[in-house]
Amino acid sequence: MENLISKKDLLEAANISYGQLYRWKRKNLIPENWFIRKSTFTGQETFFPKDDMLLRIEKIKSLKDDLSLDELADMFSPSPTLTSLSVEELTKRNIVSNTSLDMYINHHGTTTSYTFNQLLTLYVLDTLLQTGEVNRSEGMDLLKVLDENSKNLKSNESELIFIRKMGVSFFILTPEPAKLFVESQAKIIAHYKLNQFTEELKLKLS
Amino acid sequence: MEKTAAKNISISGSGTSSGGEYNQVKVNGSAHINGDLKCEEFKCNGSAHIEGNITTGTAKINGSTHIEGDVEAKEMTINGSTDIDGNLSCQELKVQGSSSVKGDLKGKEIIVRGSASVQGNLSGDEVDVKGQVKIKGDCEAESFDARGNFKIDGLLNAGTIDVELLRHCEAKEIGGENITVKKTRDSSGFKKLIKFFMNNHNDQLTAEVIEGDQLYLEYTHAEIVRGNTIEIGPGCVIKRIEYKTSLEVDESAKVDAQEKI
Repeated sequence: MENLISKKDLLEAANISYGQLYRWKRKNLIPENWFIRKSTFTGQETFFPKDDMLLRIEKIKSLKDDLSLDELADMFSPSPTLTSLSVEELTKRNIVSNTSLDMYINHHGTTTSYTFNQLLTLYVLDTLLQTGEVNRSEGMDLLKVLDENSKNLKSNESELIFIRKMGVSFFILTPEPAKLFVESQAKIIAHYKLNQFTEELKLKLS
Repeated sequence: MEKTAAKNISISGSGTSSGGEYNQVKVNGSAHINGDLKCEEFKCNGSAHIEGNITTGTAKINGSTHIEGDVEAKEMTINGSTDIDGNLSCQELKVQGSSSVKGDLKGKEIIVRGSASVQGNLSGDEVDVKGQVKIKGDCEAESFDARGNFKIDGLLNAGTIDVELLRHCEAKEIGGENITVKKTRDSSGFKKLIKFFMNNHNDQLTAEVIEGDQLYLEYTHAEIVRGNTIEIGPGCVIKRIEYKTSLEVDESAKVDAQEKI
């Protein structure tokens, strides 16, 4: 069972009021499926996935002075915002490193502009390379798996997992939050939620 | 399909149309439209049955209309009765007669002076009810103003909730920033007459949970009330109150438990 927090404890922990929580719910800053109804001794109560919710509230609080609530809602929504970005723009704004761009071009050939989904793939690759979690050849594998399965993914809930065992590595892409049990020599190197990438990328692009 | 945007149709008497794109559509008798309709202006003074969706600038329904699909309009006025099987989305909606929507109702300004029922969710910026509203799902608005009678099976969520009780109001949950519930005081002669025939003790709001920053409640029955500053007026029956800053309770209110958090 995921770690849940009650509404009352959440307001306390995040230091927000009922009014704020309800306003953010109205503005779709918090996904509907994060509101989990459970029965308790005082009747029905609302619970939230603790880590996701606290992270989201932290983000809203830190960004709400710069962005309007509607802009924030756009950022958190899984749907892509902009339609395409030119290559010049991409390098000029320093969104991804040249290394990952080269790898992407190697894999796909050159194009003059990138769609949001292509940018997302690039951004995922870049992040994993930058953190040192994958090497170049594993990066190529990542490009392949993202490419082949991009249509099967519901971007909001999808997760990316990277596992290595005795030097052999592979990726897992799952459209649902997954619980994995791996053998002892295998190591989960990276475990990401794809919507996290989407949010970060949107923030960089805006 | 060839564009017929500049054309109008007017059905007087009884007629059928296959739908299409028009400037103005006017029904004065009885009409049956067998497809989607796109127009600038839709007016129905008689009865119309539309087997499809409507997209229109303005819609004015003085008679009765049944739409099997979705409705999208900038401005819509319902003086008669309208049944929509799909969703209704509209910048400005005014219901003076009766309307029922099987799907969701979305709008900027929603004014109900008659009766409206929504099977799905209702969301709008301003919702103003002086009549009767029934919502099976949730109701979300920046401001929710009610002077009449509402029943919301889900959550009523609005920035400002202002309720003047007239007969029985009900919501499963209520949440927002400022919530005010008052009993109507300025009873005119006519209202007194109505009240004489209808049970006077029925002016009451029932909810399971009410949560907000600032609350003022009268004649409210609730399991749990939570908020920062809470004022409980006369006629309230509340099982449990949780407050942060301040709490005032009227002598005639019945509160089983209260706790400062």
